[in-house]
Amino acid sequence: MDARLARRLDARFSDRLLRPVTGRHDETEVRIAPSEVPEVMRTLHDDPEFGFTVLADLCGVDTGEVMQVVYHLWTEPAVTRDWLRVIVDGLDRDDPRCPSVTFLWKGAEWQERETYDMFGIVFEGNRDLRRIYMPPDYTSFPLRKDFYLADDAARGAGEGVRHMEQMATPAAATRSNTVRRAKIS
Amino acid sequence: MTQTYSKDDPTLLVDSPAALIDSIQPFPPRSEREAEFYAVRDGEMLINLGPQHPSTHGVLRVVLKIEGEKIIDLDPVLGYLHRGVEKLCENADYHQAICYTDPLEYISSLFMELAPVMAFEKLLDLEAPRRAQYIRVLTCELNRVASHALFMGWLALDLGGLTPLLYAFVERDEIVEMLAAQTGQRMLFNYFRIGGVNGDLNHDFMSRLGDWMSRALKQVEANQRLLNENEIFLKRTKGLGVVDRDTALRLGMTGPSLRASGVPYDVRRAHPYLVYPELAFDVPTREEGDTYARYLIRLDEIKQSIHMIDQCLHKMPDGPVMAKIPRLIRPRPGRAFAAIESPRGQYACYAISDGTDQPFRMHLHDPSFVNLQAMGVVLPGNLIADTMAIMASLDPIMGGVDK
Amino acid sequence: MTVMARPWRRLTPTGRIAVPLLVLLVLLGLLGFLGLVTGIIPGLVDFVLRLAGANPGIVRFIVAAVAVLLLSIPIAFINGYAELKVIALMQSRIGPNRVGPFGTLQAVFHGFKMLAKEDFTPLGADRPAFTLAPVVVFLTVVLSFLVIPFAPGLYGADLNVGLLYFFAVGGLSVVGLLMAGWSSFNKYSLLGGLRSAAQIVSYEIPLTLSVVGLVMLAGTMSLNGIVEAQGGQFWHWYVFQQPLGFAIFFIAVSAEANRTPFDLTEADSEIVAGYMTEYSGMRFGFFYFAEYVSLFIISALTAVLFLGGWHAPVDIHALASFFGLTVPALSIDPGSLGVGLLLLITLGPLIGTLLLTVPVALWRTDWSIWRALLVGFLLFNVAVGALITIYAYVASEVVAGVFWVMAKTFTLVFVFIWIRTTLPRVRVDQLMAFAWKWLLPAALLNIFVTAAAIVVLS
Repeated sequence: MDARLARRLDARFSDRLLRPVTGRHDETEVRIAPSEVPEVMRTLHDDPEFGFTVLADLCGVDTGEVMQVVYHLWTEPAVTRDWLRVIVDGLDRDDPRCPSVTFLWKGAEWQERETYDMFGIVFEGNRDLRRIYMPPDYTSFPLRKDFYLADDAARGAGEGVRHMEQMATPAAATRSNTVRRAKIS
Repeated sequence: MTQTYSKDDPTLLVDSPAALIDSIQPFPPRSEREAEFYAVRDGEMLINLGPQHPSTHGVLRVVLKIEGEKIIDLDPVLGYLHRGVEKLCENADYHQAICYTDPLEYISSLFMELAPVMAFEKLLDLEAPRRAQYIRVLTCELNRVASHALFMGWLALDLGGLTPLLYAFVERDEIVEMLAAQTGQRMLFNYFRIGGVNGDLNHDFMSRLGDWMSRALKQVEANQRLLNENEIFLKRTKGLGVVDRDTALRLGMTGPSLRASGVPYDVRRAHPYLVYPELAFDVPTREEGDTYARYLIRLDEIKQSIHMIDQCLHKMPDGPVMAKIPRLIRPRPGRAFAAIESPRGQYACYAISDGTDQPFRMHLHDPSFVNLQAMGVVLPGNLIADTMAIMASLDPIMGGVDK
Repeated sequence: MTVMARPWRRLTPTGRIAVPLLVLLVLLGLLGFLGLVTGIIPGLVDFVLRLAGANPGIVRFIVAAVAVLLLSIPIAFINGYAELKVIALMQSRIGPNRVGPFGTLQAVFHGFKMLAKEDFTPLGADRPAFTLAPVVVFLTVVLSFLVIPFAPGLYGADLNVGLLYFFAVGGLSVVGLLMAGWSSFNKYSLLGGLRSAAQIVSYEIPLTLSVVGLVMLAGTMSLNGIVEAQGGQFWHWYVFQQPLGFAIFFIAVSAEANRTPFDLTEADSEIVAGYMTEYSGMRFGFFYFAEYVSLFIISALTAVLFLGGWHAPVDIHALASFFGLTVPALSIDPGSLGVGLLLLITLGPLIGTLLLTVPVALWRTDWSIWRALLVGFLLFNVAVGALITIYAYVASEVVAGVFWVMAKTFTLVFVFIWIRTTLPRVRVDQLMAFAWKWLLPAALLNIFVTAAAIVVLS
């Protein structure tokens, strides 16, 4: 974590951060709410004090309780040598919505499409939000933690979840004991 | 007696040939861009540069809207090679997850292993021994040379020149045999481990490497002379598919395609990892941003990589090649992000650990995926023949694009 | 026929061809024997020969047409093999080396493979056009064979507008390609067909204009006449008198034959196979053959127009008379040897084999005497064959002419294949720009300069 950068972020975005600025090794991490995304991103991108012009990564995370969208940004070494991680926290698992950053980086379009395809997170403002990997008529979102595949050997209406560590019998695998509870936050 | 077809015949898939020419997009448009694209006006034609095509680098489907030979718009359709790597890695433990990442960009598999390995080492607060880091850099730079050699062959093949591909493969074959002598595999190497590499450099590898290094530079230059000044090649690539600096940054492009547009962003210099701070190398950058610049940059990078391999060989310290790691890897809960410079751009792995022996989430950021968006920006206005040239110069590998 | 149903079903496809053929042969043999015995066949043969003797022109034409059709197939095979092997060797590969000695039968088997493939018409295709397109393309190529002179007197027909006929027939291939592209009901084929139409039409004009200068020099459009006008030593060939014309012609003719760098009609990295995408089986075989035969045709035409046709590079008789010598005519009269002929025929092979075995045995000391004798015999056969060939070359000007035309043609075929291996493809708009903006003015310039030179120097 870069202490100088942390102080500056704290100073600029103090009321918007959900948690104090943390970090480990060469990453600095901030957390914001979905509604703050456009302004915070624009500030980080345009403001010469920060100047995070390179979007290194955009992905989604399903913690089991909430969903998150995680951005990784890079700026010139004069500002900081760290990666900046912006975690957009608190997306509802049943209706995840997040504003899009395609107004800043056109290259985020496909990455947001991928996040939508895998998690179901709807990016408001993305002109082209449709599935990118799965077929157009696919109905679930694969990377969600409660995603399950139909089991051929299942009996009855309830289909079992398959983990690599198999249950004793397929019938013993139910949704309640196979959805992973997150120990992260 | 003629055969009559009845519309009620269940074995008949189409009732008339005219039905075959109905829309390529059978589903209602899901976004405004899709609706705008599939509204075909008079004089325009939708043609599928289908998933099975000799020149899309893997299974990529591009729906082109053309007017004669000129492209007006395009819609790339991905997902034909989607294997669900990220989900698979969540259900495997840390060592197994690394095996899943090899086939992503199969041409440069060592890079695909390197970023997750580095991310997991960050989660474990572990550092690999110095010798292991040098070996990683050495083998990665060898893989970079092989990948760029293949790029040159492919670009020439897509333009119609059959021969440079074979010459590129001569180069690539030597390197790949060398790495096979070391890792046991010609393509999906499975060589890097959390904490180091899987075995020290053996004698076979070193002797082949020595042989190769003695003639590498001359061979590379001879191969470059095949195409660099060829009039037809120049006419087909110069000034084609220009991506200017701002567009490239906004698209999030990285790697040689970005550096060809004038932005000297190289992860090895911007955010150094492993032993790159100790190696002296240039980062070739060009201003034009056209296909020819993207081609020349990769040739320059081959020379820089050979220089780096030379330095690695001279500076390599002795020592163990594997750190002491526990048998069962259970990092403490946390997040880690590791980015490297693969031959196509910035490849990154974002790993989240929840304290168990399986990664909670492992996201792989692939450079080809992001670079391929440049196609939509650059192609309209060019001819169909240019599609191949521009796509080949962006150097996508569909395994990485589709994960 | 029901008694034959079961044995017929048990035959393999090859058997279903071979058995009826055998039956047919046996029947024909029987009939022939009967005909001979009763005297019907000699009568028929007599009648046909008298008819033929009365109409030599028609007979000549029929023989020429049949010969051309039959010859085009082996030529396609040779060209196909040459392309595969030469490209492979230039790419540090080996190429075909399994199917015949050094892989020479590979192209032959490609041809047979075409016969064995399923021959279908795509749903929605325009059947008549789809079926006739390969025929048209193949015909235009084979028709151009008729005017090329392979030796003094060895040509299909000596039209006095032979050159014009050649270009006219070559231009007909556009029709075939357009038919193929349109009728395939496939967007790629359509693109390929239209590209090819644009390309061939663009290059027709520089092609025909580039040889106008040559026609002015030779004074005739007949290919026979053009070859005769290039008599003498090799510096009388038109390639030295019309270098610009040669260059333009070479480029334009490789565009006409869809050879790389102008093969964007079949660019298989862009539009899969262009107009040939939907074809399979023998229909594709027609296109395939047509391409290789056209490669031969354009090389033969270049050889005939610019490289002197059947003339040897050095005319020995003219050269000798320049120095005041005469080359003795070679005439061997076997009858004058008498008994010596008998001795030659019986003892000659024996002595020759023994003579040639000696160096073989000395060179490979570890071989047995029988092996050395066998090799000696083979060498003797080779030597006699070489001697006969040389005699035929010297004694008959037809053999000499065919030899030189084939040598020049296949050298040019090699050059075309060489260019294909080396160069990438041009783009369609660059191709047409090149034809209209560079080749056409250059061809016009060539005409003016030639005309001016003729006026000035005569």
